[in-house]
Amino acid sequence: MRKFLVVTLAVLFALSAMAFKVIMVTDTGGLGDKSFNDGTWHGIVKAAQELGIDYEVIQSYEQADYIPNLSKAAKDADLVFAVGFMMTDALFKVAAQYPDTKFVGIDIVPPEGKELPNVLTFTFKEQESAFLVGYVAAAMTKTGVVGFIGGIPIPPVERFRYGYEAGIKTYAALHGKEIKVLKGYTNVFDDPKKGKDLAMSQFAEGADIIFAAAGACGNGVIEAAKEKFAGLLGKTNPSLVDFIDYYYDKGKAFFAIGVDADQDYMAPGAVLASAMKRVDMASYYAVKWAYNGTFEGGHKVLGLAEEGVSISPMKYTKGMVPNKVFAELAVLETLIKSGKFHIPETEEELNTFKAPRIKFPF
Amino acid sequence: MKVLEALLSIFINPQFYKIALTASTPLIFASLGGVFSEITGVTNIALEGIMLLGAFTSIVFTFYTGSAWFGILMAVLVGIGFSWLHAWASIKWLGNQIVVGTALILIAQGITGFLMKPIFGRPGQTDFIGRINDISIPGLRNVPFLGEAIGEINPLVIIAFVSVFVSWFIIYKTTLGLRMRSVGENPEAADTLGINVYKIRYFGVLMSGVLASLGGAFLSVGETGNFKELMSGGRGFIALAAMILGNWNPIGAMLASLLFGASEAYANLLQSSKLIEVPASVKPLFNMVPFIVTLIVISGFIGKTRPPAADGVPYEKAE
Repeated sequence: MRKFLVVTLAVLFALSAMAFKVIMVTDTGGLGDKSFNDGTWHGIVKAAQELGIDYEVIQSYEQADYIPNLSKAAKDADLVFAVGFMMTDALFKVAAQYPDTKFVGIDIVPPEGKELPNVLTFTFKEQESAFLVGYVAAAMTKTGVVGFIGGIPIPPVERFRYGYEAGIKTYAALHGKEIKVLKGYTNVFDDPKKGKDLAMSQFAEGADIIFAAAGACGNGVIEAAKEKFAGLLGKTNPSLVDFIDYYYDKGKAFFAIGVDADQDYMAPGAVLASAMKRVDMASYYAVKWAYNGTFEGGHKVLGLAEEGVSISPMKYTKGMVPNKVFAELAVLETLIKSGKFHIPETEEELNTFKAPRIKFPF
Repeated sequence: MKVLEALLSIFINPQFYKIALTASTPLIFASLGGVFSEITGVTNIALEGIMLLGAFTSIVFTFYTGSAWFGILMAVLVGIGFSWLHAWASIKWLGNQIVVGTALILIAQGITGFLMKPIFGRPGQTDFIGRINDISIPGLRNVPFLGEAIGEINPLVIIAFVSVFVSWFIIYKTTLGLRMRSVGENPEAADTLGINVYKIRYFGVLMSGVLASLGGAFLSVGETGNFKELMSGGRGFIALAAMILGNWNPIGAMLASLLFGASEAYANLLQSSKLIEVPASVKPLFNMVPFIVTLIVISGFIGKTRPPAADGVPYEKAE
């Protein structure tokens, strides 16, 4: 009897020690940022629930928390997530000390010569999703002027712009439409009023669609589009139906384009689409790989082909966009996915970018 | 030539005036608040914190009741309560007014950050909660140019301008105003004449709470309809600059706020201009325009400004 107990206890102990555990360490943005922290967490939760493993989150309140939080997580877990570009140094310092723990970095590029076999990092081809929304914007603009509002011109923001401009150029070349792009930067990420003022300025300069890659400033841009669109209708707080009715009648509108997450819901009808960055896909697969034993260190860049970025489903605005545009988008998407069509990811590439001669099969 | 055209064409764009007005409004409210407080002799650098709290409170109560006007009312009340802390510490207990103000800014940032999670379920920012819609002014709407610029306007913008003139009237045309000014210039003399220095100073500081809170509420329920932590974005400090530039006078503060707002709107329109091609990497520099304008104006056009003599000096009644 005693022997049996000992064996059971030992087995239980071994099992609990074996139980796979994932811990995510947020950056200072924390959960609720509607961007990469939330996205990564969704992916982890989804994978962990499918696999029936433990998961946990540790919130960082300041940058000095990164190293202690990551170390604590590394001791407790089999797989540790570090989220955000700002955690690059902390991640590689801690990962070197815990070679038996696996690490995943989101929006992180390994510093030159510091690659580690137990660290897998992800970045995204923002330009590919931005290309698609740029193409839609070019197709939908009635004034021939569209806008771009960035936060601080850091690489991910700029990649959004390169893709957006490339998408517009491509549509313009294929359909012989003259389109101007207005560009502006708020120089901060957390001042919605600044975003709104800048959006109002671009609308005043004739833009009717604005893509915002400016963090929380983007909320102000969406609000500006909603206000202008509602102003056209002459109604306060119009419903989605009002927007659609007006668009069918008059063919005029003001739209914003969202970023990172599917922001279409934030002002249904006034957000044309969102250029999504699927951090949730990255974390979902990373958990699965680590659990199945197929985890490999290295750096992965996720684009359309890997489902790392995409255009939002356009739940509310689909009816306003001509079917032809969707068909063309599908063709372009296949071309990009197959690698036949490269979207510029640097300023130089954008400047030398020539819209491909595509013959649509219809 | 193109550049000149771009620089000038902004002025004939009616939207420029509309954007300038909405960019100035929070500054007008907050700088008026600063005038009220400082004219009685209490430096109030907590404007930034009061604005943030005003923005937050108005969104919270709009969220619970669905009425943005009720949200604004509550923002005003909370603004009074919060500035009362300032008055209490710096008038009653003679605290250093700069230190108290700084503490209040930090408290406002802490409270709003802390309450986000229990109220909205997440830190950072809220979804769209609700806002005060623009009203259209009948008759003005169809006037060319003017109609496009101010035919549809946010009621809070109107309230801002009304409060400028009301403040001017109170400060320069009433006994209360005379007392406020005398307390700010020479509290001892005012005291000997039987004016209650403490009461007058309390009044000034509480008024600054009301006005700065309205300025904050304009940012959230007036304009964007949501709240983001730290969304006041330094406007409280710019308002202080506007107050100084306006020589502690409500009309002057309004003009200075309009100048700041207009130069911000100008910078935004300039960087959005179709006429000039500017590389994207240079664009963030446009955000400096308001500050360059400030420097030029301060160094070149404004004569010496003079603060109230007893500004920032706690008053202790002689035994």
